[in-house]
Amino acid sequence: MSSQPGAIVAPLAADQRSRRDARHDRQFRWLLKICALLVLASLVGAAGATLWGGRSAFASFGWHFLVSSTWDPGNDVYGALVPVYGTIVTSFLAVMLAVPISFGIALYLSEVAPRWLRTPVSSAIELLAGIPSIIYGMWGLFIFAPFFSAHIKPWLTNYLGDSPDDGKLSWVAQHVPFIGKLFGSSYPFGASILTAGIVLAIMITPFISSVMREVFQTVPTRLKESAYALGSSTWEVSWDIVVPYTRSAVIGGILLGLGRALGETMAVTFVLGNAMQLSPSLLDPGSSIASTIANQFSEAVGLQKSTLMALAFLLFVITFIVLLIARLMLRQLARKEGT
Amino acid sequence: MTERAVAALNPQPADTSVAIAPTKLKVRDLYFYYNGFQALNGISMDIPEKKVTAIIGPSGCGKSTLLRIFNRIYAIYPKQEAKGEIVLDGENILDPGYSMNRLRGKIGMVFQKPVPFPMPIFENVAYGIRHHEKLSRPDMAIRVEQALRSAALWDEVKDKLKQNALGLSGGQQQRLCIARAIALKPEVLLLDEPTSALDPIATSRIEQLVAELTSEYTIVMVTHNMQQAARCSDLTAFMYLGELIEFDETEKIFTSPSKKQTEDYITGRFG
Amino acid sequence: MGALYLRRRITNWLALGLSMLATLIGLGFLGWILWDTLMRGISALNLRLFSTITAYGNEGGLANAMVGSLIIDLLGIAIATPIGVLAGTWLAEYAHHTKLGETIRFFNDILLSAPSIVMGLFVYTIIVLPSTALTHGNTTFSGFAGGVALALIALPVIVRTTDEMLRLVPSTLREAALSLGVPQWKLTTQILIRAARSGIVTGVLLALARISGETAPLLFTAFGNNFMTLNPMEKMASLPQIIYQYANDPGDKMHALAWAGAFVLTMFVLLLSLASRLILSRNKVSHD
Repeated sequence: MSSQPGAIVAPLAADQRSRRDARHDRQFRWLLKICALLVLASLVGAAGATLWGGRSAFASFGWHFLVSSTWDPGNDVYGALVPVYGTIVTSFLAVMLAVPISFGIALYLSEVAPRWLRTPVSSAIELLAGIPSIIYGMWGLFIFAPFFSAHIKPWLTNYLGDSPDDGKLSWVAQHVPFIGKLFGSSYPFGASILTAGIVLAIMITPFISSVMREVFQTVPTRLKESAYALGSSTWEVSWDIVVPYTRSAVIGGILLGLGRALGETMAVTFVLGNAMQLSPSLLDPGSSIASTIANQFSEAVGLQKSTLMALAFLLFVITFIVLLIARLMLRQLARKEGT
Repeated sequence: MTERAVAALNPQPADTSVAIAPTKLKVRDLYFYYNGFQALNGISMDIPEKKVTAIIGPSGCGKSTLLRIFNRIYAIYPKQEAKGEIVLDGENILDPGYSMNRLRGKIGMVFQKPVPFPMPIFENVAYGIRHHEKLSRPDMAIRVEQALRSAALWDEVKDKLKQNALGLSGGQQQRLCIARAIALKPEVLLLDEPTSALDPIATSRIEQLVAELTSEYTIVMVTHNMQQAARCSDLTAFMYLGELIEFDETEKIFTSPSKKQTEDYITGRFG
Repeated sequence: MGALYLRRRITNWLALGLSMLATLIGLGFLGWILWDTLMRGISALNLRLFSTITAYGNEGGLANAMVGSLIIDLLGIAIATPIGVLAGTWLAEYAHHTKLGETIRFFNDILLSAPSIVMGLFVYTIIVLPSTALTHGNTTFSGFAGGVALALIALPVIVRTTDEMLRLVPSTLREAALSLGVPQWKLTTQILIRAARSGIVTGVLLALARISGETAPLLFTAFGNNFMTLNPMEKMASLPQIIYQYANDPGDKMHALAWAGAFVLTMFVLLLSLASRLILSRNKVSHD
């Protein structure tokens, strides 16, 4: 009734445009959704492709595959135990070494260091996370492994191992069970399970420490202040307030680092020695799933190739489970923050 | 019949506003829910054409909610629902068949905080127009200039139309947003606390602008500032807890309100 | 009382001292690794590195590997960026609190640290094997397959940053555009993504830094090539793969070349992450 002379929107054209816009919106929405589903598809696809590729290995060896330490390309018989053992042990060593260091760094950066020092130091630590893993591998191979075999390994074999150079068992090796086996080795080179664990630890430290630092910062200031007000020291506040408050996220961060370590290829391949043998000693060479695949896949054919695919599937499943738990634990803190 | 019943419940709106000017937006029995919570409880009012209608009330009373129903901007969020009628030029804009393009071409909105788009000043104004009309380059330039002039911004920005709009001051940004809204030549302009993020000088510029714009537009303004409502509006609606308590000529509301609650609010006894 | 107080103080100093020691250990290893990479890399640097291909072995350079890396990395980014930005947009704009959205966001985070070597085998299965079968062995490994493998690694990084950056865009911007009658797809592509642009660019740069150091997924996809090629359908060399190969070679000259490659790679990656940091911090300043 009172349409203004200047009004530009003719009803019919506007309605047509509305319909067209609605159609475009729907199409756009679908395009986006398909792209988002590709994320899921790549995860499912990676699991599916390796499972499919490993089907003949799984079929030939069955459950025995998981517990057999045989690796015999001549007779085409393979077991997953050696690489699975190597993967798990190197990763656990890495986490055991990285956690206290990471905790120290996170604590230092969030509670101890003077403010002006925090940004440069944390940037430097994050720089460590940015270095490509192949560089860690090379550094491990050319620098750290020789250093390890010249300075650290002799000390370990002589004072902790069961096969010291002078033949005299140390008190520790005599009295603490298993320790002699863990550190006894007659292998002359620096590459070993422990070396790989140390290099991995350096690699995952920045990941774990940055997650820890982030979650430490989510602790409400009033909580810390009220503890300080009671006369608590910095350490007491950290250990009694900050750590319990963030426990699940801290564990999540540690598991995130574990996930990284399990799947790491290059840093490990160079320093693990790539021996398909099962040895109780941490100073003997071994192999991991990723290093076995990297070393053998190009030349493998037939059942060996399928075995490597099957190993990749195992690796995927192991890391998936670890990362799943990690993310669930990290999410708990996010929830707490939200409420 | 029903209209008369409503008028009996809310005696002021129908009579007084019709006396001033023809009705532009006729609101009837408007209810609003989000997540099941009822935020508006049966609002009915007639908003007159080419007048400034201010909506006041304590925070949480539903005044912004009401404004956001007028151009159905609430519909972009899930679990929000409006029931009732809002009649614009004989059609119910809440009817799902009423197209968004038509609605938003007819009813423009300016928000609390200035929100320029991350693009040059000229593009900020031209962006909305482009979506509704195909204009030649010179026509577009004229149209943008008109809009910027109407928003009293032209003289300040005419030499930097190509610069990013984020470089403008807060007050200028808000006038740019007004220019952007009136560039579509809407019939109704909704202002949601348009000066709450601005300093006093920028605020008075905007208030002056509002007065100038009434010659062409029907303006509905939500404000938490009673002085602003008293200064700028022809009519004032007072809302409280999701209900329209009183709706009358501004002068009457501020001098001799007929409801106790209105009086209490105006005199600062609560809110 | 005094003894207890003293013990608490000593514990505190000890703990704080150890935290400082831990930081020094971390920084020490950083310094050690960078020092060796820089020293050995710089001493092996020469012009031949950039002008000669790896076919000459000892006497050669790394030109084809650098070019190959560039091609494969850019391919990876070119594939991952549109998909990642669109997927991230879906998560932020359309699937805020839906079950599917939460699920995808969750699995994207897992993909972020999934083992890259498995991604390489995945691409080997879906691209290298079929193309070998289809072309009767003419095309087996290819730079393209390498690019796809790297795209899978870049994808979750880009999805996540896009998602996070778009969620930082104030919702008033959405309301303002919608109240002009602009349709949602235009609002998203022309306004929201533009508003979050610098954050998204940062994500893309971080993804590029991440993939340019990846070796494992390239071993069975791009494979390697001792000659210069610009054709992504051929086998292609890359810097990390050549470093891997040369480092495992017994020859000292090869090791020197590997260090030189490591130096170039590290510089490239560190400069990228520096650049992305700068963009992000500049953006922060302009927002405040």
